Amino acid sequence: MNFDLTTFAFQLVNVLVLLAILRHFLFKPVVEIIARRRAETEAAMAAAEAAKTDAAAAKKAAEAEAEATRAARHDVLADARKEAEAERARLVQAAQQEAQRIAEGARAGAEETRAAAEAGLLNEARELAQAIAARAMAAQPKPPNAAAYAERLVTALAAIPEAARQALLSAPDLSVLTPAELTEGEAASLRDRLVAAGAPASVPVTVEPALIAGLELRSGAGVVHNSLAHDLEQLAKAMRDGGHPGN
Amino acid sequence: MSENPLSLPIAFQIGPVEVSTPVVTTWGIMAVLGLGSWLLTRRLALRPSRTQAVLELIVTTIDAQIASVVAGDPARLRPLIGTLLIFILTANWSSLIPGVEPPTAHLETDAALALIVFVATIVAGVRANGTLGYLKSFANPTWVMIPLNLIEQVTRAFSLMVRLFGNVMSGVFVVGILLSLAGLLVPIPLMALDLLTGAVQAYIFAILALVFIGSAIEEGHSPDKPEAKEGAA
Repeated sequence: MNFDLTTFAFQLVNVLVLLAILRHFLFKPVVEIIARRRAETEAAMAAAEAAKTDAAAAKKAAEAEAEATRAARHDVLADARKEAEAERARLVQAAQQEAQRIAEGARAGAEETRAAAEAGLLNEARELAQAIAARAMAAQPKPPNAAAYAERLVTALAAIPEAARQALLSAPDLSVLTPAELTEGEAASLRDRLVAAGAPASVPVTVEPALIAGLELRSGAGVVHNSLAHDLEQLAKAMRDGGHPGN
Repeated sequence: MSENPLSLPIAFQIGPVEVSTPVVTTWGIMAVLGLGSWLLTRRLALRPSRTQAVLELIVTTIDAQIASVVAGDPARLRPLIGTLLIFILTANWSSLIPGVEPPTAHLETDAALALIVFVATIVAGVRANGTLGYLKSFANPTWVMIPLNLIEQVTRAFSLMVRLFGNVMSGVFVVGILLSLAGLLVPIPLMALDLLTGAVQAYIFAILALVFIGSAIEEGHSPDKPEAKEGAA
């Protein structure tokens, strides 16, 4: 065994050359790519951290904005409530005023209606009174004195059936009703006519102011109506049964 | 393999210069490693392929080993330690190729590697502590230790050389003997054992070189620190 210096020198150089080759073609590129990846990872981490910070800031800003929005909403709602309350009060007041105005108008209208109705009733009553008076006066004899009423009484008595007339005239309580005291002449004339009609001569004359005008013959068997009061009563009855006296 | 493993076969001659077979084998290894490195690293990407991941794993493992021994940036020692590990491993495993004898089975190659480590240790010590600081480190713990420390510098480099040479050469020697005595398939278990031995020796050589360099760097900083001792090899 011997030591070859040439081979030793060759191997020395070879290993140094290989060191340079591996340094340039193996270690350097691999280390560079590892460093690049690490740098990119750190950059990504930094970006993620920055994004996280930005997100936190954005979240904080959003929360502040939300808080401001809540406060603004509360203010707006408070203002709206206040305005609504004022509007409601204004509307209630306006409604009350309108209702009062309508009620006053209704009252005035009712008053006018009532006055018009009263005026109409008065007018109608006046017209009715005129009609009744004209009708009643038209039914009275002309002239309306005791003699005329006596004549109409005798005529009415003659119109009664014979049996009813005899029963009336023969009744013991037969009397002649007059609204006022008759004069001697009027009483004598009346008695003469009644006697001529079949009445007894002693028939008494009784004053009955309710007759208003006219003469009536009355007994327990019946009555011969011949007075203004009776005519008015008949007109009133006709009005109750059939309406207007002119009908 | 009938020839003497300790002899140095000559491959060819260039004028007066004889080029031995281990040199040619080393050129082949250099070509394979250089070309392979260029091919594997020309298209590195941020999203690594499986091959790139393996490369990155190798480099980061070397860096981790360096960082576990020497404080500071591992980049300054990465090329040397990495080259020693990869070259010795490749050279040891080159025996798998029929007809190829590992360059590390010859003393010249191991001596060249040991010389590189010896010089690198001195250079690293001087760069880290300055010339005076590095020289002062030989006086640790007392000046009485200066001769022993100087001798240690040489002997540990020499031990590196002899250890690698002895282990690899013995493997080749045994395989050669078995091949000449038994037959074709009998040496295969020993060749498998040689693979393990080659890997272990590559790791030991690289890690001891790292320990020696790290010791030279850090001795100037902490005089009381115990010296790095060689592992059992």
